[in-house]
Amino acid sequence: MLQMKNISKLYRTELVQTHALRALDLNVRAGELLAVTGPSGSGKTTLLNIAGLLEDFSAGEYRLDGVDVRGLSDDARSRLRNQKIGFIFQSFNLIPDLNLFDNVDVPLRYRGLGRAERKQRIESALERVGLASRMKHYPAELSGGQQQRAAIARALAGEPPLLLADEPTGNLDSQMAREVLEILEQLNAQGATVVIVTHDPEIAARAQRNVHIVDGVATDLEAGPALIRGSEKRLGPIFAA
Amino acid sequence: MDFFPILAALRRHRTAAVLIILEIAFTCAMVSNAVFLISERLRRMDRASGIAERELVRIQVTGPGRQENAQAVTQEDLARLSGIPGVRSAASSRQLPFGNSSWNSGLTVAPDQLHASLNASNYVGSETLFETLGVRLVAGRDFTRDEYIDEEAALQSTATLPIIVTRAVSERLWPGENGLGRIVYMGPGHPLRIVGVLEQLVRPNELRGIGDFELSVVLPVREKYKPNDNYVLRVDPERRAEVLAAAVAALGHSRHNRLILKQQTLEEMKNEYYRADRGMAWLLVSVCAALLIITALGIVGLASFWVQQRTRPIGIRRALGATRGQILRYFQAENFLLATMGIALGMLLAYGINQLLMQRYELGRLPAQYLPIGALSLWILGQLAVLGPALRAASVPPAVATRTV
Amino acid sequence: MRVFYYLELALRSFRRNRVLTALMVLAIALGIGTSMTTLTVLYILAGDPLPGKSDRTFYVQLDAEGKENYQPGGEPNVQLTRADAEALLRARRADAQAMMTGGEGAIQPSEAGREPFHVDVRYTSADFFSMFDVPFARGAGWTEREDEARARVAVISKQLAEKLFAGSDAVGRTIRLDQHELVVSGVLDAWRPTPHFYDLFTGAYEQAEQVFLPFSTSRDLDLERMGNIDCWGEQSMTPTALVAPCAWIQFWVQFEHRDQAAAYRDFLVHYSEQQHESGRFVRPPNVRLRNVMEWLDEGKVVPSDVRLQTWLAFAFLAVCLLNTVGLLLAKFLRRSQEIGVRRALGASRRAIFVQFLVEAGSVGLVGGVLGLGLAWLGLWAVRQQPQDYASLAALDPSMLAVTFVLAVASSCAAGLLPAWRAAHVTPALQLKSQ
Repeated sequence: MLQMKNISKLYRTELVQTHALRALDLNVRAGELLAVTGPSGSGKTTLLNIAGLLEDFSAGEYRLDGVDVRGLSDDARSRLRNQKIGFIFQSFNLIPDLNLFDNVDVPLRYRGLGRAERKQRIESALERVGLASRMKHYPAELSGGQQQRAAIARALAGEPPLLLADEPTGNLDSQMAREVLEILEQLNAQGATVVIVTHDPEIAARAQRNVHIVDGVATDLEAGPALIRGSEKRLGPIFAA
Repeated sequence: MDFFPILAALRRHRTAAVLIILEIAFTCAMVSNAVFLISERLRRMDRASGIAERELVRIQVTGPGRQENAQAVTQEDLARLSGIPGVRSAASSRQLPFGNSSWNSGLTVAPDQLHASLNASNYVGSETLFETLGVRLVAGRDFTRDEYIDEEAALQSTATLPIIVTRAVSERLWPGENGLGRIVYMGPGHPLRIVGVLEQLVRPNELRGIGDFELSVVLPVREKYKPNDNYVLRVDPERRAEVLAAAVAALGHSRHNRLILKQQTLEEMKNEYYRADRGMAWLLVSVCAALLIITALGIVGLASFWVQQRTRPIGIRRALGATRGQILRYFQAENFLLATMGIALGMLLAYGINQLLMQRYELGRLPAQYLPIGALSLWILGQLAVLGPALRAASVPPAVATRTV
Repeated sequence: MRVFYYLELALRSFRRNRVLTALMVLAIALGIGTSMTTLTVLYILAGDPLPGKSDRTFYVQLDAEGKENYQPGGEPNVQLTRADAEALLRARRADAQAMMTGGEGAIQPSEAGREPFHVDVRYTSADFFSMFDVPFARGAGWTEREDEARARVAVISKQLAEKLFAGSDAVGRTIRLDQHELVVSGVLDAWRPTPHFYDLFTGAYEQAEQVFLPFSTSRDLDLERMGNIDCWGEQSMTPTALVAPCAWIQFWVQFEHRDQAAAYRDFLVHYSEQQHESGRFVRPPNVRLRNVMEWLDEGKVVPSDVRLQTWLAFAFLAVCLLNTVGLLLAKFLRRSQEIGVRRALGASRRAIFVQFLVEAGSVGLVGGVLGLGLAWLGLWAVRQQPQDYASLAALDPSMLAVTFVLAVASSCAAGLLPAWRAAHVTPALQLKSQ
């Protein structure tokens, strides 16, 4: 799914040169649940941005689902991003002026789908995260956990093969964090490739695979046994809204 | 106030800063020129005409040119008009200042001169013309009764007739002198001796160019009735309407198949004459006001945006000990800096626009005193406009610095 | 179509930022309103008064003056002498030609007790009406023969016919002008050429005259003239005499094809040479043959104030747009977070650019509607002015269209920079976690 070879990212300002990433190799197979860990400033967010085609890299090669991203025009990148990737952010990043329905709608609009199909996808995505009854509510009217679930619904609506999550539980209390994590695990079980950037050891432990980044260099770590602590793994819709 | 850090900070918001500078520059340039134009127009409207504007009314009469004994018609009309209570003096005159209809001639100072030295408007009227119009002599005298001759006689005569000119004519032909006694020619066979010089008598219109508005001469031609003649009456300012009505009635009785074309006070004539200038002045005033308002609103809009963008740095400063007053003064200083740059550019633009106007619209050069006025008004405008957003910035609580979301 | 999505988003954004949007709309409306008011006035005043024929209709000037004030290569007198005009008319070298000048008089209605009133008159020749496409409601003009015969005939305007004959057919009836009786041969339909091009001395934007009659007749009856008269040399006779050295007649010619003008010009030069040889013309041949628009240009018909006002209004519009650029920039960049999110969700830079350009254009559209209202108000204000062209100031359909095009185009232009900046917002910066 995700093949990075020898990726370097260099930030240049007037006075200093910073290597955010150095000669990074990463191979993520379809259907993996990967946790990317590392201290602050290690470059994990940069890695996610590059993976998500939000940033360009200085050297190396990156293939997303078989497509070499180098030399792609902005239009092509955007299309690729729209079709292959779903984003989940720490600060949710829902558009405050739009209600949940319209928020989830956004990626579908850029896909160019018809009205009926969009409606159907939005409703089913919101159902999957248990927010169907809050379709017309605005983000400001929801709790943190609900907002994040809405963001997940938005990421899902286009059914992208790859989900990139940047500290998805960072702004949530432990109960909501667990709920969100379970959804992600569910989605992974249903076939999505999920990459989570986090410094929460609990998430790292639940992931199949860990990649640790320090000073721009990645190291694969064996994940610990999938300890199930304090929650049950269930299939299907997780909870009532 | 140290301006360098402000400049450095502005560099990061280059586009918005440039926009404000440009807006201030254009407004400054346009307002300076507009105010100048307005004052020019007002000056134009203020020009002395040389006649007793507030005391005169006119009735314009038209109708068949063929009158039995047109001279008698004129005398009869004047007698009737003089008899109206309130009329101090009555005259007939073919031309009037602001009357638009004019008779112009080229004057030369030598009989065989090929190119006219100047072109002046001619005034002919009854013997009572001077005292009615209220013109003032600065040298010489009015015509005597026997100097008046009939029109046909004037055309045939080769004798040197007397003529009265305005001071402007005399200055133009003989700078420094008053021209009394000099001879001018209206065509080779018509010498005229200057017997009087008027302080001022403007032409009926400015079709010959704005600079020559004051070139007029008066001829001792006994005017007899012709269509479109004017009867002009000198009255007390308060009785003008009353006398005008009475005059119209009086002339209506002795018709001779004539019509009264116009009846108005001279002030009304003058207002009509300058209506375009007045309209232009009003338009310029509105545009200036609108420009200033729009620029002010633009500054408010952009300044508010900036404050919103920089909430965190402001909070950090406050957390580090800056007072509200210092934050306020920072924003005011920033606005002052932008305004200064805008005004500097605006001055250059103002002169550029002025050059264009000078070339194409007969405007003078922008006098230097308009620039400080423009600068000051825009500085004040900018400071007032930025006050709101700056106060909002100053009230950002220091706690903002510590918040992460 | 995605444009409708963007329009929907624009509407939402307006609702969200009511004050800011109102400010922008107002600024654009003011700029558009003033620009369209002045532009409409200019358009009316500078229009072609004889569409379709103006490039083959020409004004004739000859230089008949004496030695005095002679400048080699200078402009000849604006008008012709009566002798020259009548000579050119007799020569009939163009497909159509007319001599004319202004006049005035008093009409005495036939009913007892009605007061006489003043009218503007035009003394001209037979071809006038066909040359200038003057529309007739009833009857027709007079013929060349009637010109020669100094017939007591006249054409009157629609208003005059109504005033004198109130609805009944005026053709064949008599009118009394300055005590002389004239028979009406035709009644004109509403006609107001703008500008009053054929004689600029009687008011560049005046209404057309009320009475038209043959020039020859006017001389026979010694009717009053109106307009400009320039005399030179010895002033020994009445200025309106046939051989008087005075210029007071306008002369227009018309051709089937405008290339025929060159030949006519040669004829004028030849005529001038003949006059010179006979001793009447003192100066060398100096002719002018200008078509309608060239003539109007030379005569500087459009008042310089009107031009100045138009420039002023457009400069004002420019400042309004500059203002809008700033406000749009502020409005768009305030939504940087939203932009970042949309980019992450698959919007290309182009999509963001178009989205915000549409928003800018929508502001322009609303501003245009309001601006149209302001222009209508502005033109109403112009109509209240006492200028002679004031009553003509009105919006016509083409100016209406121009208003909207101008509003949307200028607001899109103002939106280009802000939309570009919005499209280049770095998504990564907007989305990063603390």
